[in-house]
Amino acid sequence: MNAGTTAAGAAQIAGGILLAPLLPGLIQHWKARLQGRRGPSPLQPYRELRRLWGKSAISVEGTSAVYRLAPAVVAASLVAAVLLVPAAERAPNWGVGHDALALAGFLALARFALAASAWDVANGFSLMGASRDLTLSVFVEATLILSLAVAALVAATTDLTGIIAGTAGTAVWSSPALGLGAVAFALVVVAETGRQPVDNPDTHLELTMIHEGPLLEYGGRDQAYLQWAAAARHWLVLVLAVQVFLPHPQGLWWQLALLPVWLAVLCGALALTETLVVKMRVLLVPRLLAAGAVAALLGIAAHLVGIA
Amino acid sequence: MTAALLLIGLGALAVGGILAFFPRGFRAGVVLQALGATAIGVAGFWVLGTGAVLGDGFTSAFAAQVGVDGLSGLFLGALGLVAAPALVFSLRYVELTARGRAIAGLTAAFLLAMAAVICARDPLTFLLGWELMTLLPAAVILLARAGDERARQTVFSYVAITHLGGVGTWIAILLLAEAGAIGNASAITSGSGMQTAIALAALIGMGTKAGVMPMHVWLPRAHPIAPAPVSALMSGVMIKVAVYALVRVLVEWIGVLPLWLCLLVLALGALSAVGGVTYALFEHDLKRLLALHSIENIGIIMLGIGACLLLRARGADQWAAFALGAALLHTVNHAVFKALLFMGAGAFERAVGSLEIDRLGGLLRRMPWTGAGFLVGAMAIAGLPPLNGFASEWLTLQALLHVSQHGNVADGVAGAIALGALASTAALALFCFVKVTGLVLLGPPRRKAVAEAEEAPRLMVGAVAFLALACVVLGLAPGVLFAPLVGLAPWPTTEPTGIGLHLPGTGSLPTAGIALVLVALTAALVLLRGRRSAAPAPSWACGQLVEPELNWTSSGFTKPLRLVLEVMLRPQREIVVRSEGGVLQEVSYRGHVPHLIDERVYRPVVRLSLASAARARRLQSGSLGTYVVYLIALVVALLAAARIGLIG
Repeated sequence: MNAGTTAAGAAQIAGGILLAPLLPGLIQHWKARLQGRRGPSPLQPYRELRRLWGKSAISVEGTSAVYRLAPAVVAASLVAAVLLVPAAERAPNWGVGHDALALAGFLALARFALAASAWDVANGFSLMGASRDLTLSVFVEATLILSLAVAALVAATTDLTGIIAGTAGTAVWSSPALGLGAVAFALVVVAETGRQPVDNPDTHLELTMIHEGPLLEYGGRDQAYLQWAAAARHWLVLVLAVQVFLPHPQGLWWQLALLPVWLAVLCGALALTETLVVKMRVLLVPRLLAAGAVAALLGIAAHLVGIA
Repeated sequence: MTAALLLIGLGALAVGGILAFFPRGFRAGVVLQALGATAIGVAGFWVLGTGAVLGDGFTSAFAAQVGVDGLSGLFLGALGLVAAPALVFSLRYVELTARGRAIAGLTAAFLLAMAAVICARDPLTFLLGWELMTLLPAAVILLARAGDERARQTVFSYVAITHLGGVGTWIAILLLAEAGAIGNASAITSGSGMQTAIALAALIGMGTKAGVMPMHVWLPRAHPIAPAPVSALMSGVMIKVAVYALVRVLVEWIGVLPLWLCLLVLALGALSAVGGVTYALFEHDLKRLLALHSIENIGIIMLGIGACLLLRARGADQWAAFALGAALLHTVNHAVFKALLFMGAGAFERAVGSLEIDRLGGLLRRMPWTGAGFLVGAMAIAGLPPLNGFASEWLTLQALLHVSQHGNVADGVAGAIALGALASTAALALFCFVKVTGLVLLGPPRRKAVAEAEEAPRLMVGAVAFLALACVVLGLAPGVLFAPLVGLAPWPTTEPTGIGLHLPGTGSLPTAGIALVLVALTAALVLLRGRRSAAPAPSWACGQLVEPELNWTSSGFTKPLRLVLEVMLRPQREIVVRSEGGVLQEVSYRGHVPHLIDERVYRPVVRLSLASAARARRLQSGSLGTYVVYLIALVVALLAAARIGLIG
């Protein structure tokens, strides 16, 4: 393993696990600025994690091991997903492979554990959130797989390191295939990070929650795990967006150097959409996501027709 | 050696079947059957692993011949893998009455009929086994539900539909025999009318038996009313025997198919996968829901076969073999987890009575072992890592992606659409099994019998645990089985190595590593969390007390999806509000998601055929004079035809 791979591995672990909470922190901070408020510091998520870590967890009457294990399973599958998604075109072998299509499996495991915990506590608000999340996931998953398929077809491999190397350059601006894939993936980013117009992360009204709903019955370290997992989801989709669907240079060092810049730009863009776009009616979101799937399909068709 | 083991196994199954008919011999008979099934399974996998060929080769002549090759070995292995625990399960499940004994005996005959289809090497033995395989479960259901008018009706429609569809199997096999193509792929030229006719007949005949949409209507009706071990065998093995036949005909015997037929297979697969799981989501009976999931999984298998055919037509032989391996691996995986789920459901049914999904709940605490096994099955069928469903669904996704990579525009886009359909199917299956897990295993018990349920007897738990273990093992080391499956393709290929799935052009799926990482991380995080918790408190419902009336139902949980898909599903609902003197007395609600293929395709056909039958009946007046007039008219018409020169 040479220095480049080591550095990429270090960036992957440090970024995905330690710096991930900074991403939602930045988005919240900039969103507040854009709305003319001073808002919380970008480090606010870390403070919340510290606060939660010191508190005792909740236990709900009549629950089983599923409720107790769910936060650990969610966090573990997100860590595994962080290990799966490389930060640049080379990455150390962490033992989980680097396959693009396998990513959906880890996200699905996290979703299953959380939704099952909602059934275990039998709280109507948790179940409401879980049921909406699963409804949207039907469309998110198709869009995710199809947009990754566009990149995989362009790079002729589903290995994410190969995809990052194969889509390097500025082809995304000129190739309609990658461009349409990027449009589709943008919707995946919004849905997986739970941001407007799909979900409102700031809501305190249980009735309107999607991703936050199943978290209601957790506290203390359990909740810390779940909040970290939400932050890690930001890292996963944003890194994929940067290294696959945005122009990125060839060469590992350049890719690593440009990564934080692009991440900051994307956080800014999410803050901007959060400010400009209002939340959609939940039943209309599938249409938006389905439009993303269609865009990805058009991208694949463009690739097959041979429009480079 | 292997042949001897196989023969001993078949013999034990036959003797065990006869023994089971006698009151004294029931237990010994079923145990003997289970041992026989184990021997068959071991011998089958042995043949697959060593690549040996036992007995005769294929012939198109009408002379009884039997033999076993790799593909037959695989399906015999799957039969043993499912049948052995199912038979052990039935030791406790089937009552020790004359009826129960007859069911146990007929189960052995059913297993032998399926083995006959798998081992048949000539058209006659194959068709004989095929018919017995259809009729014997009907007999078992009739016995188990004697006196139940609706069950009899259902069995009648099962037999009618599978026989109407089964005509396709006869046509396909007899045409193949006529062309001398059984076991001889060069006998049929690609693109010929013969090839098209055989392929379509096989798709209709064997597709009906496999439960491929839109020929699936019998399956969600017939599977749930059988006794649980027989349901496990029907969903786990019988529909897989139809897959076996399809693979033989479409992949081995009739050469490279024209593009449109490959696309048809892919489209049928996508329809079955998405359709099956969507209707399963809105189902309220656990066993019926599981039966609908069989349609979904047959769809995933058909997607694999379709990808194989398309890749073969495009000359991408290596990936065609991978696609075939994906389809066959999913066949085994589905056999294992579906049998597990049906037996789990059987254990629950035995403990609490009705399996109406909204009236269960909390069974993980009351029946921890069966519940844990059922949870493993639910996670496997939802395609979650590190279990077996994840490995084969990942392989199928890869195969479909390679259809796009190797295809032209039309088949490439078709592959991409199928890819999206499979991704949605996986998400829908997850949705459905979260619902099942929640309503059956978790939360508060919904009625008294459920709150007092007791753990199943040890033998039943053992059978469930064995299959759960099989789900884990097949998930940890799918490569061990996948490599020989790739080698089953009748064209030259290189087999992948390793216990994970390392294929060229993919990021590879090191299944054992994934399992290790997930388990180790979960354990570490649980330790890190510590045991600090506040005293137990009720869950938060905005200050309301959580009454049983506030429990969520299946319909409530799936409502967002029902609303999103309203245009396609056309759900029906009926709300009746009764008020007296301005005071609300009663609100009753009924919701229902109709199966559109039943309502829009089959119902009109049934109505039309009944109407035409009624019209035809008017000819049969019963009076002698009328019949004499018919005869005279016929003679005159014939004479006239002969005079003009139409006949003679």
